Amino acid sequence: MIRYILRRLVLMIPVALLVTVGVFALARLSPVDPVLVFAGEERDPAMLDAIRHQLGLDQPLPVQYVAWLSHAVQGDLGRSFQNKQRVSEAIIERLPATFELGLAALLISITFALVIGIVSAVKRNSVVDLLSTSITLMGVSFPSFFLGVVLILLFAYVIPGRIFPPGGYTPLIQDPGANLRYLVLPAATLATASLALNLRQVRSSLLEVFGYDYMRTARAKGLREGAVIVRHALKNALIPVVTLVGIQVGAIIEGAVITETIFSWPGVGRLVVQAIPSHDYPVVQGVVLVSALSFMFSTLLVDVLYAWLDPRISYESAAA
Amino acid sequence: MAGTTVPIALRREQTDWLGSAAYFLRRNPRMVIGGLIVLAWLVAAAFAPWVAPYDPIKVNVIDSLQPPNPQHWLGTDDLGRDVLSRVIWGSRVSLRVGLISVSIGLFVGTSLGLAAGYLGGKFDLIIMRGIDALLAFPALILAIGITSALGPRIENAMIAIGIVAIPAYARLTRGQVLAVRAREYIVAARTIGAPPLRIVLRHIFPNIMNALIVQATLSTAFAILAEAALSFLGLGAQPPEPSWGQDINYSQRYLANLKWWMSVGPGVAIFTAVFAFNFLGDALRDALDPRLRRSG
Repeated sequence: MIRYILRRLVLMIPVALLVTVGVFALARLSPVDPVLVFAGEERDPAMLDAIRHQLGLDQPLPVQYVAWLSHAVQGDLGRSFQNKQRVSEAIIERLPATFELGLAALLISITFALVIGIVSAVKRNSVVDLLSTSITLMGVSFPSFFLGVVLILLFAYVIPGRIFPPGGYTPLIQDPGANLRYLVLPAATLATASLALNLRQVRSSLLEVFGYDYMRTARAKGLREGAVIVRHALKNALIPVVTLVGIQVGAIIEGAVITETIFSWPGVGRLVVQAIPSHDYPVVQGVVLVSALSFMFSTLLVDVLYAWLDPRISYESAAA
Repeated sequence: MAGTTVPIALRREQTDWLGSAAYFLRRNPRMVIGGLIVLAWLVAAAFAPWVAPYDPIKVNVIDSLQPPNPQHWLGTDDLGRDVLSRVIWGSRVSLRVGLISVSIGLFVGTSLGLAAGYLGGKFDLIIMRGIDALLAFPALILAIGITSALGPRIENAMIAIGIVAIPAYARLTRGQVLAVRAREYIVAARTIGAPPLRIVLRHIFPNIMNALIVQATLSTAFAILAEAALSFLGLGAQPPEPSWGQDINYSQRYLANLKWWMSVGPGVAIFTAVFAFNFLGDALRDALDPRLRRSG
């Protein structure tokens, strides 16, 4: 097992290096001179040259890349052009809000996917099954920002009593009640897209497992239907679901970009969206790099978890 | 024998168009429904100047913020622009981005996949590591990164979405090439001295066409959704050009005043277009490529 993980880690290195080249190239592709952005109102050529030198932008590109990478490896992603805050600090400050939103959304998504998925697989062609297939179909095609707008309209303005606020945030430690009220709409919005995928997976893998011989054996030896489903069917059917959810954990930042923008949720996604119009490349670079690396690591974790959950998967053949 | 009647026609002639259509609809409901909605959007986009009742960017303050009525079926926005006309013209942006970005992904991805699969060796290794690196980025984050670097313009959004689409085509093509490369007819073509390009284009490519058509349909759905998301974030089409994602973003400032119609038009448009391409793609997958059929 440890050999397998080490091998996967070694194989990840060249890909991770290519990712860093890509992220570095992103900022250099821009037609806008970062020095002008950094300098703000300053247009004195001597000052601009000084800034260029200070930022290391007068060096050849490979030298700039190595310098940037060696800083990034030590956790230094540069400073924001706008407020000169350290990018790593800015990201760490906003990560708790993003994780709170992402985890709440996953919790909603998994709970609903399991309940509806199990009922729809057990009672095929019932009303719940029809509901489940409709959610799957609609959820994949429904743009999350439109759903967010509809939810705001309904729950913040149309339904009397203004149940939930249209946007904003209160830290959990400060006021848990207020935090929850702000959390409900964005979490529901974010949950919908992954609900469609999770629900489809729960339903289809349960249906597959129902056809296996050990299910018949379990029933034949007189187990109650509930025990058959929970102990025999679910245990095996959930392996692919775990994979899917693991990948979604890695993609939390991606999912949060749109939702955080609609609901003014002060997370990493909103940080990158606010950095774009002001050409704040260090921030954009930092967020893109962090989200790509977290995505890569979660994929690795999922593979390891998958091999651990399903003993039929041999580490050696999977590594090859 | 003399008194027996001989049926003139044992089978009814195939002139019953309605019957045939009903039969096809019963057999392939998803393909028909998805195809018809896609066709409707294509017609709306192609004939926008004739289909749209008003000029989509002409400001007409007297008519501002009207709810849906017989003159303006989907209402008007704060500048008095007809929402229905903006939705119809917006389909041009969405479908153009879908078409062009999918073409970029298809062309680059398929070429890389063909080259990696056919040539193999170091070439394969280098290309596939590059593809792995592209796959390491969450799709929307990569599109946002590229568009913000190149500048917020619709052409750059197309490039970004095209680049994001490359890995799917490259992996699909490479896999298929590896599967058919060792078949007898390819070996035979090589034996009679056919040049590699001819083998790839005449013998390998036709084998992967079906899978590519399915992938292209499904990735058009993704491209439309991604364009809407980028435009929503201000990274796609720029005002006053009508664009579904951007119009939803714009409508947000009137939500508190309950001007719901400003967002419903473009929202439903995105949903129907994405839904139709997904539906059609799924149906095509079942029809053209039974090996890829999903369970459940």
